[in-house]
Amino acid sequence: MTFLNDIRDYPWTSLLAGILPSRLAARLPKRFQAPSSQIVPPASVAGRALTIVISIMTFLACLTAGGVYMVHQSASAWVDDIASEITIELNPLETSDIEKKMTLVSLFLAKQSGVTRVKPMSADDSAKLLEPWIGSTAALSALPVPRLIAVEIDRSDPPDIAAIRNALGENFEGVTLDDHRRWQSEIKLITRSTALGGIAILALVAAATVAVIVSATRSAMATNREIIEVLHFVGANDKFISSEFERHFVGLGVRAGLVGAVAAAIAFLLLPLLVSLLGGGAVTEAETRRLLGSGELDLGGYALLVLIVVVVAALCMLTSRLGVFRVLKTYA
Amino acid sequence: MIRFDNVGLRYGSGPEILRDVTFHVHPGSFHFLTGPSGAGKTSLLRLLFMSIRPSRGLIFVFGENLADLPPAGRAALRRRIGIVFQDFRLLDHLTTWENVALPLRVMGKSESDYADDVTDLLHWVGLGNRIHAYPETLSGGEKQRAAIARAVIGRPELLLADEPTGNVDPAIGNRLLRLFVELNRLGTSVILATHDFGLMEQLDAPRLMLQEGHLQVGSPQLTAR
Repeated sequence: MTFLNDIRDYPWTSLLAGILPSRLAARLPKRFQAPSSQIVPPASVAGRALTIVISIMTFLACLTAGGVYMVHQSASAWVDDIASEITIELNPLETSDIEKKMTLVSLFLAKQSGVTRVKPMSADDSAKLLEPWIGSTAALSALPVPRLIAVEIDRSDPPDIAAIRNALGENFEGVTLDDHRRWQSEIKLITRSTALGGIAILALVAAATVAVIVSATRSAMATNREIIEVLHFVGANDKFISSEFERHFVGLGVRAGLVGAVAAAIAFLLLPLLVSLLGGGAVTEAETRRLLGSGELDLGGYALLVLIVVVVAALCMLTSRLGVFRVLKTYA
Repeated sequence: MIRFDNVGLRYGSGPEILRDVTFHVHPGSFHFLTGPSGAGKTSLLRLLFMSIRPSRGLIFVFGENLADLPPAGRAALRRRIGIVFQDFRLLDHLTTWENVALPLRVMGKSESDYADDVTDLLHWVGLGNRIHAYPETLSGGEKQRAAIARAVIGRPELLLADEPTGNVDPAIGNRLLRLFVELNRLGTSVILATHDFGLMEQLDAPRLMLQEGHLQVGSPQLTAR
């Protein structure tokens, strides 16, 4: 509750004045300006080097979070896509007429409840699927390429997949059903691994940010030791002194966080062009798209970047507060 | 208001600066604290202001045993005390006005409530034309007056002053003494450390004499045990 009270009592209206350079801050309407000159000089707390370090940390955090978000979005779309479809594979056997079997199997599938659409793929369509790997060659038509039937299912009233699989096995030779379950679990595994990797990177970035802020807080307090002594002499308690330092660190967090987040947003905007700029071919581009979707962040993704700025500012605030209290304890 | 019981003080493993200091100061009193240079006047004031701890003995300020006081309690007591340092301790990046207003700002008062009081006090101590000046542009005497103004702006219950007239000419010194006397009349207890006998002769106030670490009492208003 104390923390909530502190948030309520924080001079939020003067936060903008803390973020902007002093020349611009002086032009703000009076209610947005700091009540009086700052007791702890801003330059003694948030130097340029510290701002750059926090900006880089935010940039890395935004890239990681945005990347994980894109992979997650792309994987969800994949899972949605393949979960509403099953594929029937007909292996070409010398003893049977494959076209006739395609028709029979299609008719059988169309009769099943929960099946909304049956789409037999022509021999050309099946061959096209192999083109990225084998290339467009006349020899392809001589190969015993399996034929496929795409079946869309009603996800609100799905068919009994096991029963259809058994019936196909009993009635048609060389026909198999693939419900993509293996792919779904693979995709989920990849997404989970990516998310875990992202969380680990975010944790490392957060730890590094905390370490930098702790060090900066100690340094700022050593630089301003005389000011702290005077504040003690005029009756300031630890909370007051801490808030004077905190104000600068929150300003620093927001300022550096915004720089990092905007840089990351620009990077995400340029990402779709990145593969071709780096000399990647059409296949590489297609594979990248398959992994990251369109390669662009949606509104939710940009909201995530804003959230990271808020988290960085909160991290700066809390870390500096704890750091100040810790150092003040050694003064007592 | 203030009680010292057998207080001793030494810095590190050095000799004892104060030895068996015992005295009692009543509310509303005015005392000079005097003695030769190095007698321990500043150390005694620092003990009173909780900036150092005694090596032995007990100190009570406003009835509180300083040995048992947590940091938050010390801050609350300091708000009731004004102090003038020998080396002024003004903040160089704040103007004279902002330095003087600092104790009120720390108390959480609104700037609009105290702005006129700060300006009036600065005029009274002769710094009316130096309100927006920064300490580094002030003379020693001006800094002294700004430090005094900062100590008294919050109407403290106890005022501790370490050589407050050491850097000003006699006319300003007398004026500052009048300010201290006026505050004392309004109820503030004053302990003024000085070795200026001319200043002490202007006022019939008890004297706490420090000599080789021992305190001698020179007035009936002070109860030594």
